[in-house]
Amino acid sequence: MRRRRVDPAAGARAGTLPEAIAALSRSLPSGPSPEIFRRAKFDRPDATSALWQLLFRVLSPLPAGSALASIALDVQARLVKSALCSQGYPRLALAQLPEDGSQGSRELLLALSWLLARGPVPEQMLARTRVPLGDEMTVCQCEALASLGPPAPHVETEGPVDVRHVQWLMGKLRFRWRQLVSSQQEQCALLSKIHLYTHGCHSDQSLGHLSVTEAEMLRDPEGGQQVSGAGAAQNLDLAYPKGLHFCTPGMGPRTFWNDLWLVCEQPGLLPGDWAAPLDPGGASACSLLFPLRVLLRTLEQENRRLEAVLAWRRTELVFWRWMDTVLGTCAPEAPAAASQPTFLPWVPECGDGELELVVRELQTLEEELREAAERRRVAWEAKARGCGRGPEWSATRRASRETVEKELGALQRCWEQDSGPAQAHGPHRLVRREDGAAGDRDLRAAELIRTLRSQEACLEAMLRQLQGQCRQELARLAGAVPGLIWIPPPGR
Amino acid sequence: MLPADCSRRLVAELQGALDACAQRQLQLEQSLRVCRRLLQAWEPTGTWAWEPPPEPETNEEDPLPACIPSPQDLKELEFLTQALEKAVRVRRRITKAGERNKAPSLKSGSFVTSPGTTASTPPQPPGQAGGHASGTRPTKGLRQTTVPAKGRSERWLPSGQDRTRVGIGARAPRPGAGLRNQHMAPSAAPQAPEAFTLKEKGHLLRLPAAFRKAASQNLSPSSSAGITVSLCGSWGAPRVHPRLWVQLSSMQTSDSMDAAAAKTQFLQNMQTASGGSQPRFSAAEVEAEARRLRKACSLLRLRVRKELSAAPVDWMQEYRCLLTLEGLQAMVGQCLQRLQELRAAVAEQPPLPCPVGRPPKASLSCGGGAEPTWSPQLLVYSSTQELQTLAALKLRVAVLDQQIHLEKVLLEEEMGVQQRSAALRRT
Repeated sequence: MRRRRVDPAAGARAGTLPEAIAALSRSLPSGPSPEIFRRAKFDRPDATSALWQLLFRVLSPLPAGSALASIALDVQARLVKSALCSQGYPRLALAQLPEDGSQGSRELLLALSWLLARGPVPEQMLARTRVPLGDEMTVCQCEALASLGPPAPHVETEGPVDVRHVQWLMGKLRFRWRQLVSSQQEQCALLSKIHLYTHGCHSDQSLGHLSVTEAEMLRDPEGGQQVSGAGAAQNLDLAYPKGLHFCTPGMGPRTFWNDLWLVCEQPGLLPGDWAAPLDPGGASACSLLFPLRVLLRTLEQENRRLEAVLAWRRTELVFWRWMDTVLGTCAPEAPAAASQPTFLPWVPECGDGELELVVRELQTLEEELREAAERRRVAWEAKARGCGRGPEWSATRRASRETVEKELGALQRCWEQDSGPAQAHGPHRLVRREDGAAGDRDLRAAELIRTLRSQEACLEAMLRQLQGQCRQELARLAGAVPGLIWIPPPGR
Repeated sequence: MLPADCSRRLVAELQGALDACAQRQLQLEQSLRVCRRLLQAWEPTGTWAWEPPPEPETNEEDPLPACIPSPQDLKELEFLTQALEKAVRVRRRITKAGERNKAPSLKSGSFVTSPGTTASTPPQPPGQAGGHASGTRPTKGLRQTTVPAKGRSERWLPSGQDRTRVGIGARAPRPGAGLRNQHMAPSAAPQAPEAFTLKEKGHLLRLPAAFRKAASQNLSPSSSAGITVSLCGSWGAPRVHPRLWVQLSSMQTSDSMDAAAAKTQFLQNMQTASGGSQPRFSAAEVEAEARRLRKACSLLRLRVRKELSAAPVDWMQEYRCLLTLEGLQAMVGQCLQRLQELRAAVAEQPPLPCPVGRPPKASLSCGGGAEPTWSPQLLVYSSTQELQTLAALKLRVAVLDQQIHLEKVLLEEEMGVQQRSAALRRT
């Protein structure tokens, strides 16, 4: 390995290249050895498969598990290509690489660096497989009721569907929602009790009580009394373990990842899986009840990786300089004719219907506003002529204009900045405190409740409006399409 | 009857929603099972992790079950075993009187010194042979492990009458450790005295030291500073790096400018050296923009409603209302324009599809600009009621989201039907 000493002028964070690469490989899950990186610079073929696999791990949203490793290399390669393409990876050479891992390690190294430069990849991967020690609840609403894994096999409906079937499904869905609510209420009550009873025994004063994971670990350190079936997550959202970022409800046809999931047969959900996990990070994502030994081992591993990530952050400057040289050794690519990559196995829906909807709404709104504004402007002009003119008149008008501009600006910021800084993301550990005291960075349940209530009101308004629109459309349809009889569902 | 293709999507969506609910229900139920089990009496399973509350003289060894007892431990084991047997004999004489002794539990040291001390007497079923584990209820300060080498799984149960740490006057330092690798003299089946319930004795639990150390390194504020931790050899020398996740977060925010600049430079170089065409919208970006515009639409609509329904009292309010309406009209126009541009761009160059709904980067930050914080923060609640309200509201919002989505699908499909029938009529 060529040792390059960055000159002291580069700053206090200088390090050597081997250190940086070593830190990087330690911080990534089953990262390739530093030797692989060196070989990749020289485009050696033996470094290729390791890099394909690493890229797959980085890009795949599925939790790491033993089953993932069993996917064939060419499948992995194909998935990596399509994932990179979808993120806008600029280099064409990657798409043309053979998928058997026989060549192209330099391109793969470039791809990896591209990903590393765009986002905090090691941290994200760590967060994906983080060991949640507490009872957690996510604050943001992303994927709250997202579908995990593949949809259960259904008989594809052929031919026209009886509307009663749809109504029945709707009713079933409502029933399930109610069930969820009551189960969740019970879960909260039990959780609260556990927190209350174990108050005062946690070594960490700020927490004060045990979480279910910790209590369960104490109750059953050997893990011999595991609940049969899938592990129980103590995440109150219980929608998904980390790392399983599946499509939002309504992605319709199965995506490739769902099929992949089927292939992997839901790793980590088998009771025996956590007993000797090949990658404890993966198992922890699915089953949060550990025997003490496994939990400790996982924690220790996580700590080691955390340290590696910190070391990487301190030394990464050298790595980027090196990557520039690697890029330099590649010949610049000729711009190619823009063509849709042909290796995609599915046709996703890109929500053009969605945009259509919004366009319609905005157009109706525009119409409405135009009429109202014109009317009012005319009325105002008439009135204004009657009133006197004077300097204070124009001053007040200017003041009004400014106020309105400010208000509207604030309104615009509401949707420009997707979510306000107050909205934290990610899971939060639940802590019960009688007095409800919280530190600066902690959230209070009362505040969250307020936010949620306003969100609820907003959504309810939106739902009502949509339902009205639906009814209008139906009325139009009933008139327009002969032979269509629509029986509106009761109570809608 | 609904037209076939329209209904298929609707049915698929409904099925998807049903599946999502079912999965979540399943997880909830499993979690409930775990919680219920925790709240019931804990069955003895073989090992129990009691830890003494931090005391200066207590050595907080953390012998994992794999540790082999040292010869000294075994000797003391013998000692204690004999003492315990004697204590049991004494106690049985006492319990024959039919009393249930509620005296404080034996101090560990007192086994050796005063075998006659009354110990807590959990109810003993008749006919149990001597040398019960039950008779020798150590204080909660003891860690009991089974020694697998002996091939027996004696179960040590905590006493039903344990108090918080009884004064341990004559407590020798080692018996604590020795008792950890306790193996009782051959005896009959383990006793089942008053079982351990979280309700009564939850506050006495202690986490094992190794776990505490690892967790404090990982996350929590360094409370282990004052405790000297010595571990079994297999775990190596202890190092305390408190709050690694927190360090990571702080490093994020104060990222080296050089590194950031180097990264941007590298990305630019990549772009120029590559043959790829201008970066086009990825499906994720399209979705994000559409989401923003949708949000804009709903917010605008709400505002318009508000303005139109407001009754201005004086001319100033009326003026402001007028200005607002005109301003809103301009904003709507802008949004429409953006939307049309987006649609044009999408139609011309189909957006790059995503393998999943969102790429990992976006999903972690939830489409927002907020910096992801790596270490989980706390969410503090003060009562069961509050927690339940919070969870119920969250679920309600999620359900509303799902409902809205379904309505949108229905609307889209209806419009699609309309378009198709209009096209049919034209031909």
